[in-house]
Amino acid sequence: MDELTREFLIESQEGLDRMERCLTDLEERPQDAGLISEIFRSVHTIKGTTGFLGFKRLEKLAHAGENLLGLLREGKLVADGPHITGLLELLDGLRLILRTIEAEGAEGDGGDDVLISSLGELQVPAGAAVNQPVAVAIGAACVPAPAAAVSLVPAQPRTAGQPPDPASVAPPSSKAADGEPARTRIQGLGTAAESSLRVDVTLLNQMMNLVGELVLTRNQVLQATSADPNMTLLSRRLDMVTADLREAVMKARMQPVSNIFSKMPRMVRDLQHTLGRRVRLEVEGQDTELDKSLLEAVKDPLIHAVRNALDHGIEPPEVRQAAQKDAEGTLKLRAVQECSHVLIEVTDDGAGISVEKIRQKAIERGLITPERAAHLTERELLQLIFLPGFSTAAAITNVSGRGVGMDVVRTNVEKIGGKVEIDSHSGKGTTLRMRIPLTLAIIPALIVRSVNQSFALPQGALLELVHIPPRQFATAIQWIENAPLYRLRGKLLPLVFLDRLLMPGIEPGIAARRDNFIAVLDADGRRFGLVVDGLADPEEIVVKPLSAVLKSIGIYSGATVLGNAELALILDPGAIALRARVAMSEEVQSGGGVEAEPETNRRKGVEYLLVDAGGRRAAVPLADVLRIEQLPLSRIEYVGCRPVLNFDGQLLPVEDSGGVLAAAEADPANQGGPERQIVVVVCREGNRQIGFAVSHVLDVASGGDLFEAGASQRADGVTLLKDRVTDVVDLGGAPTLPSRDQEQGEWNQFAEARQ
Amino acid sequence: MNVAAIGLDGQEKAPETLVEMCSVRLGEALFGVPITHILEIVGSARPQPVPLAPPFVGGLVHYRGDVLTTVSLRHLLGLPPKDGHQDILVLEGADGCYGLLVDAVGEVLTVSTADHEPNPSILDERRRDVFAGAYKLKDSLLVMLNADRLDPMRLGGAHAA
Repeated sequence: MDELTREFLIESQEGLDRMERCLTDLEERPQDAGLISEIFRSVHTIKGTTGFLGFKRLEKLAHAGENLLGLLREGKLVADGPHITGLLELLDGLRLILRTIEAEGAEGDGGDDVLISSLGELQVPAGAAVNQPVAVAIGAACVPAPAAAVSLVPAQPRTAGQPPDPASVAPPSSKAADGEPARTRIQGLGTAAESSLRVDVTLLNQMMNLVGELVLTRNQVLQATSADPNMTLLSRRLDMVTADLREAVMKARMQPVSNIFSKMPRMVRDLQHTLGRRVRLEVEGQDTELDKSLLEAVKDPLIHAVRNALDHGIEPPEVRQAAQKDAEGTLKLRAVQECSHVLIEVTDDGAGISVEKIRQKAIERGLITPERAAHLTERELLQLIFLPGFSTAAAITNVSGRGVGMDVVRTNVEKIGGKVEIDSHSGKGTTLRMRIPLTLAIIPALIVRSVNQSFALPQGALLELVHIPPRQFATAIQWIENAPLYRLRGKLLPLVFLDRLLMPGIEPGIAARRDNFIAVLDADGRRFGLVVDGLADPEEIVVKPLSAVLKSIGIYSGATVLGNAELALILDPGAIALRARVAMSEEVQSGGGVEAEPETNRRKGVEYLLVDAGGRRAAVPLADVLRIEQLPLSRIEYVGCRPVLNFDGQLLPVEDSGGVLAAAEADPANQGGPERQIVVVVCREGNRQIGFAVSHVLDVASGGDLFEAGASQRADGVTLLKDRVTDVVDLGGAPTLPSRDQEQGEWNQFAEARQ
Repeated sequence: MNVAAIGLDGQEKAPETLVEMCSVRLGEALFGVPITHILEIVGSARPQPVPLAPPFVGGLVHYRGDVLTTVSLRHLLGLPPKDGHQDILVLEGADGCYGLLVDAVGEVLTVSTADHEPNPSILDERRRDVFAGAYKLKDSLLVMLNADRLDPMRLGGAHAA
């Protein structure tokens, strides 16, 4: 295939992807001239180039589509369900031919006559098409064609980009108002395309590698030149430039999630036809960016999740109406970045997952025993759907229900170091949450020592660390025959000695004479303790692939170069668990996989920052904490009687429920002496930020649920931290700063309060 | 006729070509690898051992942003391992690059293909497998290594079998 054809294929694919996005948008805004122009342009470009390259079949089909689009663009027709279905078929037809060209170099000789003639039929204007029973349901209001509503100049595609006179695009439907922003967006796309450049991914990978190399060389230069004051300045500069370069290269690999989200409207549309559902798709956070390879990896799980939501989640319209719900279900896709993770949520407002059904099914399938099932909480039962071979669908449909869905979702997401959680309320809906690391190339890891070497242990699998000094060794580690066990908070944890695993011939007595550390790991539900000789710092490591010979050993997932230029092999916790025969199946049967870790399973990821606020222990969800600032008391200013902080030019309300500020202000030691420092925890609450004044920050800990005695209801506002009941700070309860409308009223309240 | 035949013989010998070989030292012995096979020479490296790896693996080294698996020539020839720094020849294998761990890399020698002799039949199995004949030097032999046979992928397969 020559360069020109390849270029044409890539360009056409992009054009068709854009067309697909526009088509699904068009269904919601049939009057949007900008969208039609965009679609027209895609098809027109393909037609133009094919004529030049001599692909007759493609040209003929594109021409038929262009005729229809021309009418739509001139406003002689209004895009409604059948039109959009027709255009989507055209899209598929064009894609099929492009694929054939890609595979065979020629366009093949399939028959497009049916498609062409049906496109021709659609060109017949008037009410016939409008009155047809419309199977499509994405809320496309079929407004009768206002003949001269859209008076765009045809031909030259450029003119289509100009914003037309808003009055002339204003048909009775209010939806047309959407046309304006849509058009500016498309214009924005145009300029972006001009200033961007297509780069081969392998080149980017290579750049990433070289940057990794540069980082290491820099580390060595920094160490070597630290003594020489002349070089220090230069090497600092090298340090900075390297860091910036690394960031830029990483950024180059990032792509917006819209690349995969944009496939969803079409899929949802097709599925609701097949399944007889009515669904409105809401998409949020399209601009969130993710490493390209991760984005690819998330695609399949996301498709599974969306299918599941439509098939099992959202009920048919009649059922929904009977349940007093809107006949049209809502499916929400949301992507948001949280620290070093991207959270992708698929939320439906469907029937939710029946916990009872899961219980029955799990027992039926022999996944758990009835006795065990009776003891599991709702949340624990929900996690069972991630087990292989689990499906609650009454009938197997061709959409989902083969029992491979959810465990595939989990396996795929965990493969890239992510996590999956599910949350469901019967009758209200289900949320599937995928937590994806920002990049695959760099992962946080704990460096451990064993057999005089360093090994990297991915942080994702690490639950906690236990230190066993030599004199406690004999009592702390217990044996059943030759299986070592550690009693972790009353439960027996199987242990794996890393040195014995790596060097089967090693003298067993040696472990008793040195310090031992147990890294408690959770690898896909297999929980065990890995015993190592030493711990080094946690590091962000760049993962390097291993050669096939070393990969086949099975327990290493890669290698990395540490900051001190030493090489470290990356251990694969799952493979170690398998090799040491820490079996998952046994654990599930004995309930270990589910029950032995109620805290981690039930509230995985819910970590709290433990603080001391005026002598009282309080907890702030760690995910909401943005920064912890220590600053002089004088930085706190007051609006009315409300403490605020001028933070980088932003006004931050400071919550002082612990009375820390008041105490500090009143403290006599404050007078005269060196200025008193206070600690403010800056948190995120909804769309705003709030400072929380505390005396000290104590620790970070994982919270456990507390249940009210007698009721299985989770108690709100408190959590179990370090075995003590602790208040969770209610950030939502913090009052907002007075806005202009409220000001007066609030001010009066202040005045009253002060009197 | 005879004269012509001799002349032909002479012409057949004439296209003998000169090739450049990188010489490497292992203990007292001298080995050669065609320089066309060598991507790079990494001097005085200290490979990181890989527990549980097949015995022919000499360890890992850091090479141009990647992690390179090395093959220990000493192990292949049944010699005891050497402590301390060793030199590495970076060679191209079926599964990307790999390193060949030798005691020291010597000079590049130019030899004539006319001086090449195949492996002698008395050579033991282990050596016959990785040697590709020898070049007669003035007062010693340059034993050629068969770079294709040193690929860890192939060795791994042989090792497993």
